[in-house]
Amino acid sequence: MTAIALVAAMTVRQLLGQRRIIVIALLNLVPAVVAVIVRTVDADGTAAQLVANPVLEWTTLFMLPLTALILATAALGGEIEDGTAVYLLSKPIARWRILAGKLLAAWGATAAAVLAGAALAGAVVLAGESGWNVLGGYLAALLAGSFAYCALFLMLSLLTSRALLAGIAYVFIWESVITSFAPGVQRASVREYTLGIADLVAGAPADVIEAELGGVLSLILMAVVSAIAVAIAARRLARFQLSGEA
Amino acid sequence: MSANGPAPAVEVRDVSRWYGDVVAVNGVSFALEPGVTSLLGPNGAGKSTLLHLMAGFLRPSAGEVRVLGQPAFGSPDLYRRVGLVPEREAVYPFLTGREFVLLSARLHGLPDPAAATARALREVEMTDAAERATGGYSKGMKQRVKIAAALVHQPDVLLLDEPFNGADPRQRLQMTEMLRRMADEGRTVLFSSHILEEVERLGENVLVVVAGRLAASGDYRAIRQLMTDRPHSFTIRSSDDRALARALVAEASVTGVDLADGALRVRATELAAFTALAPRAAQRAGASLFELRPDDESLESVFQYLVRR
Repeated sequence: MTAIALVAAMTVRQLLGQRRIIVIALLNLVPAVVAVIVRTVDADGTAAQLVANPVLEWTTLFMLPLTALILATAALGGEIEDGTAVYLLSKPIARWRILAGKLLAAWGATAAAVLAGAALAGAVVLAGESGWNVLGGYLAALLAGSFAYCALFLMLSLLTSRALLAGIAYVFIWESVITSFAPGVQRASVREYTLGIADLVAGAPADVIEAELGGVLSLILMAVVSAIAVAIAARRLARFQLSGEA
Repeated sequence: MSANGPAPAVEVRDVSRWYGDVVAVNGVSFALEPGVTSLLGPNGAGKSTLLHLMAGFLRPSAGEVRVLGQPAFGSPDLYRRVGLVPEREAVYPFLTGREFVLLSARLHGLPDPAAATARALREVEMTDAAERATGGYSKGMKQRVKIAAALVHQPDVLLLDEPFNGADPRQRLQMTEMLRRMADEGRTVLFSSHILEEVERLGENVLVVVAGRLAASGDYRAIRQLMTDRPHSFTIRSSDDRALARALVAEASVTGVDLADGALRVRATELAAFTALAPRAAQRAGASLFELRPDDESLESVFQYLVRR
């Protein structure tokens, strides 16, 4: 087993063995509940439109970033906080490998939770209907978005001990409020990239997925943002120092 | 290798480390050779900072720290030959003791991690509890499993931050023997402590750190002697303080006497000699001794004396 796989496997156990996994499971069941309501009340719109909005758009807006925030900040930030990070960092392994293991674990856990919730909700709305391409588009986009958010929040956990707060500010102030008032800022929003990719992969009519950015541009920007976040995190971890205690 | 022979296992040269305006370590220099060395000092003296500097977890603000000839900071390869036992108690609570040590062995890329794990657990007498989750361990058990993880790759240099915390007397004895054995095998072992008796049992070589400075270094017995022979201050209450003061001032080891607040304050050069002569002086003065109390026997005051020397 390589060092990356060892770190990833240990981190997955760490993330799954805690109470936060119950919160994440409940959070990702919300879209399925919304889907059941949508089917029950016989809402206006085609199944494709309804699965896109509200069901999977909610997943993109809230479940995806919150799940990634909880898991990615716990993957390494928690260990730095309680001092256990020293057990990994005092090994003859390049620090980027440790980061890669942490990122893989956070990404895997986030994607598993979010995609399972989205697939279940999508299946409830689309059962016996057409529009499965919209669900496919969203699932691909959520997979990519999981990686970008995890990279971003892992980086935050190495930059500040208040990564959870900083992440909440990013999701609820930057992505939810500021991008609404300043459309140009949408180019710096993982949420918008995710919607753009969903639109690109689904190939649905324009009124189904409300994406502000083009699909290809979203893909490129998401790759750039993820690469920058990983590079900053790797550099930070390579120069990691223990905080002061005499 | 330097021009003058092999480099010391650990070399700390003119090292300072500060956090903002706070100076944690100030101009410290020393070198460590194979054997056991103890890093002694009161809480907050800078022991952990020094250990973290040697373990490559802090970059010196000034000066240089080299371990096995390489800069300690930014050299992850060094960990093939260095083991670190941090002071903080936390371990991964979801892993069993064996899994915790095995993870360490695997991350070190050892050829037979399972055998190395079994050996390390035997060394610290944790084989019986190895299949239990570390979350349920006592403080002493966590300490021992941390030590097993740090020595699983049989490092040349072992750094331990307050390793005796939480250990019961039997475990302390067993750990002491283990560290001695490692030193006998030619390894360099450095452990920090704020408890004089721990150092007395184990560390022939002592580094005394106070307020971020190296206050004394060398053989334990010589430092212990310095601590014992320093000036001491006593408060005495008797039936006739004035007569007792006259008797005491005639003694060679007494350097000063004050009568104030209904008590006698005496400064003497030797602790043992003064405690023996005080009752005799009281007898000569026809006074009854009610109280004889040393004023400054805290470890901090002992350390402060070493700094002032």
